[in-house]
Amino acid sequence: MITTSAMKRLRIDPAICIVFGLVILLVIFGYFISDRFGTIQNLTNILENSVSLGLSSLGQTLVILTGGIDLSIGGVINLTSCLTSGIINGDSRLVVPVITGVLLLGILIGFINGSLTVWLGVHPLIVTLGMSMILQGITLMYTLAPPGAMPLSFDFIAYGRVFGVPFAPVVLVLIFVIMGVFLRKTKLGRHVYAVGGNAEAARLSGIRQNRVVIFVYSACGFFAALTGVYLVSRMGIGDPRIGEYYMLSSITPVVVGGTILAGGKGGVLGTLIGVFLIILLRNLLNFMDITSFYQWIIEGLIIIIAVSFYIEKRKL
Amino acid sequence: MQDIMLEVKAITKRFPGVTALQDVNFNNRKGEIHALVGENGAGKSTLIKIIAGAYQPDDGEIFFDGKKVVWESPHQSRGEGISVIYQEFNLFPELSVSENIFMGNELRKKFRLLDFTRMKRESQEILDRFGLHLDPSQKVKELSVAEQQMVEIAKGMCNRTKLFILDEPTAGISEREADALFERLHLLKKEGVSIVYISHRLGEIFKNADRVTVLKDGRLVDTVDVKRIDRNRLVSMMVGRNLEDIYPAKAKDLGEEVLRVEDLKIGNTVKGVSFSLHKREILGLAGLVGSRRTELAHGIFGSLPMDHGACVLGERAFSATTPRESIDYGIAFLTEDRKNEGLVFGQSIQANITMPTLSDFVKKTLINAQAEKNVCKKEMEKFSISAYGTEAFVDNLSGGNQQKVLFSRWARACGGILILDEPTRGVDVGAKMEIYKIIRGLADDGIGILLISSDLPEIIGMSDRIIVMKEGSVTGELAQNEIHEEAIMHLATLSRSEQTGDNNGRNAR
Repeated sequence: MITTSAMKRLRIDPAICIVFGLVILLVIFGYFISDRFGTIQNLTNILENSVSLGLSSLGQTLVILTGGIDLSIGGVINLTSCLTSGIINGDSRLVVPVITGVLLLGILIGFINGSLTVWLGVHPLIVTLGMSMILQGITLMYTLAPPGAMPLSFDFIAYGRVFGVPFAPVVLVLIFVIMGVFLRKTKLGRHVYAVGGNAEAARLSGIRQNRVVIFVYSACGFFAALTGVYLVSRMGIGDPRIGEYYMLSSITPVVVGGTILAGGKGGVLGTLIGVFLIILLRNLLNFMDITSFYQWIIEGLIIIIAVSFYIEKRKL
Repeated sequence: MQDIMLEVKAITKRFPGVTALQDVNFNNRKGEIHALVGENGAGKSTLIKIIAGAYQPDDGEIFFDGKKVVWESPHQSRGEGISVIYQEFNLFPELSVSENIFMGNELRKKFRLLDFTRMKRESQEILDRFGLHLDPSQKVKELSVAEQQMVEIAKGMCNRTKLFILDEPTAGISEREADALFERLHLLKKEGVSIVYISHRLGEIFKNADRVTVLKDGRLVDTVDVKRIDRNRLVSMMVGRNLEDIYPAKAKDLGEEVLRVEDLKIGNTVKGVSFSLHKREILGLAGLVGSRRTELAHGIFGSLPMDHGACVLGERAFSATTPRESIDYGIAFLTEDRKNEGLVFGQSIQANITMPTLSDFVKKTLINAQAEKNVCKKEMEKFSISAYGTEAFVDNLSGGNQQKVLFSRWARACGGILILDEPTRGVDVGAKMEIYKIIRGLADDGIGILLISSDLPEIIGMSDRIIVMKEGSVTGELAQNEIHEEAIMHLATLSRSEQTGDNNGRNAR
């Protein structure tokens, strides 16, 4: 396996290896459970299911790293998915401008979240919760049911293959890699960790922590909007309620992957592994014909156990 | 034997990889104030924790109040009459003084309801006994550090404590408050209560303690009567070598003016301060707690917005509104509170050192990690920071090493002016000396240093010139040949009527 010095160089929390190991274990378990598990179709299914959870959790990771939280991701997804299919309404000429517009809208909402947090001093939990309710209202004012339609070619985003390889999951991993490099290797990325670790010390070191905070919420809004667009491709249409699931579920892969809620520690690699853990788990439980209620119980237990690996051992 | 409150014999404690205590003997008499000193890592906290029952010794015995004891837990020792007051108090800021005093020992009335009236009354009695003018219903968060400490002691008295153990009780409070604390400890002494306290402030020990025990590298060096030794001897016992010169030689000549502060005002707290700082100069800023020196520093640095006034650097006059501005102008600020304002825990030494100067390592928006690591390695050598590497987390470094990480950070970021606020707080004697050399070395390289310190020997030993403040105004200035303790204290306590009208005039140089 990976040696400890290599881990230190890449600065990977050894506890992530445990969660990664769990993922491997689940994969092996899957092969035993059912021969259908190992089929290309099922594996592709798993990868495709990871995209929406992955994108929304990615934005959430950034926010949590600064010690905040974003509860408006679901609201953004709802609004952007409805606006996308509602405005485009089958007209392929509108696809590019509307999607651009919707992504910008996501950034704008995030920008507002961040600005309110910084300038009002209200805890981001409250700001984003309020925003989520506002977005819900706006969405339902626009449409009560899945609106409009999308041109068939739009299916490509969610279902397309390039040389036989599923398009969306590959792009997902690419995005994660880019964000990972951003966090580790750029000044702004370093500042994200500084602000999360000790906002006051960061300020006194000349870091403009307000800008950092507004940036992460804007980025989170962007990824939420991107998730909304992806879901439109996956379902063929927007939906004013599709985002609800993501409001809290976007947090789970982040903490299971080792990012601490208090901020300052963690990263996107852990989130990606956390996403796979959850999707795999669900996939396996389906194969075992376990009803959804048991699935929830098991998922809940796994979350608690996985996070406990990251608790610093008390020094005696 | 009736005389002895606590005795520990041949105490040994091992941790994986290190023997914290080896064969240590220690005793404390009833009604005695016994100081425990030693460098960081000498074993003082370990010994304290064993006495309190937080650790179990691997070898040796503990005798308390005449009988042999084995503590299963700190709770047990507290029940028997040992109270430990750590540096970070165990108080509840949102609860009142009386609620804190009775925490864990609440008085109840019928139906097991809490009897707040009785608790308030008895708290008032305890506070009166100590001459403390505190309102028992006040929330603890409203009290000063020194007052909170007294609440901790009152809490102990409520528990019928026989032995108080205090860990660095006077770090972070002024000299006057420290005297008040010791007055009360002397009161406890008269009642036969024993006191053991850890301190780095040697002057205090000579003033207040009866005996002092020196630990070094986990072993007992000696226990002596305070009257039988002097400061130099005590320091050489602690450090194991003879120290003639704790403070490096002062500057022989100063360079040109490098910063001029003009009539700086911040709200009601800083009331129009002006002074001049020169190249190669260490300008001491003295005063009691509450003199607002820290606020002045934050005003200069831009972390607190100034309402009036300017800083003049060469030709440019400016008033910084963010720390970033000041840093760009060349001003660096090592703040008072390294835990809350300085270090980012959970991050490496490397990340902490380069925090304000990350741009140095950025090429085409990406950070050159190897270059950063190389530079930080050199910094660690230069400042003698001991850790296993630049990627070690700052969390576990000793106070002295943590402070050196911050020195490295700000020395790198400094472009001519360095402000230091209590740079040796919570740092042991050996590391203090290293830091003094670092400070003088930086000055000799041409930097102008503003040194804020509540440690009189330190500020006297280090400063080329001293400015004294009281309650937000400058009360006087002392040239090198005028610096001594009485002059500083006189200026620091000047009453309103004694201060001459034109403070700014006094300081123009």
